[in-house]
Amino acid sequence: MTLLEVQALDAFYGDFQALFGVTLHVEAGETVALIGANGAGKTTFLKCLVGLIGSRRGEIRFGGEPIGGQPAERISRLGLSLVPEGRLLFPSLTVEENLLMGALNRRPGSWNLARVYELFPVLHERRRQWPDALSGGQQHMVAIGRALMSNPKLLLCDEISLGLAPLVIDQIYASLGRIRDEGASIVLVEQDVKRAAGAADRVYCLLKGRVTLHGSARGLGLEQLSRAYFGT
Amino acid sequence: MIWVETIINGVLYGGLYGLLGVGLALIVGVMRVVNLSHGEFIVLSAFIGVSLIGVVPWLHPLALLLPVAAIAFVLGFGLQAVLINRVVTRPDPFAAILLTFGVAVVVRNLMVEVYGADPRHLQAGQLAQASAGIGGLHIGVLPLLILALSVALFTALQLLLTRTRFGRIVRATADHRDVVRLMGVNPGRVYNLVMGLSLALASVAGMLLAIRASFTPYSGVERLLIAFEVVVLGGLGTFWGAMLGGITLGVAELVGLRLDPNAGPLYAHLLFLVGVLLRPSGLFRVRA
Repeated sequence: MTLLEVQALDAFYGDFQALFGVTLHVEAGETVALIGANGAGKTTFLKCLVGLIGSRRGEIRFGGEPIGGQPAERISRLGLSLVPEGRLLFPSLTVEENLLMGALNRRPGSWNLARVYELFPVLHERRRQWPDALSGGQQHMVAIGRALMSNPKLLLCDEISLGLAPLVIDQIYASLGRIRDEGASIVLVEQDVKRAAGAADRVYCLLKGRVTLHGSARGLGLEQLSRAYFGT
Repeated sequence: MIWVETIINGVLYGGLYGLLGVGLALIVGVMRVVNLSHGEFIVLSAFIGVSLIGVVPWLHPLALLLPVAAIAFVLGFGLQAVLINRVVTRPDPFAAILLTFGVAVVVRNLMVEVYGADPRHLQAGQLAQASAGIGGLHIGVLPLLILALSVALFTALQLLLTRTRFGRIVRATADHRDVVRLMGVNPGRVYNLVMGLSLALASVAGMLLAIRASFTPYSGVERLLIAFEVVVLGGLGTFWGAMLGGITLGVAELVGLRLDPNAGPLYAHLLFLVGVLLRPSGLFRVRA
């Protein structure tokens, strides 16, 4: 079953066009990596999906329902959840309060506070602290936990390895496996090609707002990927 | 002894000043907007009180606090929903400030049109004269009541913002207006409720102040000035800071009046000036 279907998506910031005819789909239970250099349009693409960019053309269907043009607060209730770039935690809320914000939609499912603490035990120890007292990796865990609390059908992860030590990245990626096992599909936006391709079923590569390559993660050679990535 | 009494009275008066400012602090903290019509709504609440007294003259003004606060809440909710939400998301903060300035001018002139320019007063009856003797000091019962009410409202606001789901949503919206939308929250609706709350608090201050001093439709500017000083002195966006800022100004004003009966609130304004020069980020800046 196709969970997400994007057809010929264009996006604009004023007069500047950031995406050109992006076509992409995600099947239920699948992990899809979206790779590309800085400024390729990856974050813009995710913002279009969740409804934070109003200026766009093309069709976005989620679970068969057209969601293009709907406000972000409505789209979130359908089961589309974003781990935003730079985490964007709420600094005036404790770790636990941050997690609870994700549960406001009251979507039914297997994720709740206890399950998120089980996934990231360190957050339970730190649940009463302010987010900025946490390490970068722990803050990423809060951002992922907050997104999970709404029991998404599709989890969108924007650069969850950025600025983290390799050991911490391993830990975060290991948690993605468990999130998949619970039935969520995942879109991974990454600059780290190897890391993303290793965790995904399929890969899309964006270059200057256009899809330059897509295919099965195992079928694509590293050379082919880097050519699509850098446009050489 | 007279000085101790003056300082105690200043503290009691200052609690009311804190209440004048806290609604303004709430709006600044949550939507980064300075509501220049705050003072007009403080005065308007007192006029609404006067009108209600006209309908039910046997009621004590203190019994009208709740209905007036409810009306002010609805006014704030509507003001935000109909007008301010249209401009609050613009990157240029001047749009919202100019809009509230326009609202202030319109509300002020409507009050002149409806109520006339004569000074008014809310009568508190015998309660206004009652005083309690504590250890040889004469302390007014009404000012004591007013301070107790201010502290109770501050505490309630603090609990609402730190302990409830609504408070969590308000703080999160203040942090990241766009991110809460990803959790199904409409920031505009949060703003409506917060503006309602702000003006409800302001209306209580407006009614209590109208019992202590007379007012005209033009008193809003003076009220806004005090509210402003309270907020800045207390540290932008902090609530207990606003309370302490109000008390500081109240003590300064009454001590100043004792030294120079013609000074009016001059000494409070001077203290504000010195405070801002010495501690530009507020006297009582703490983590919100």
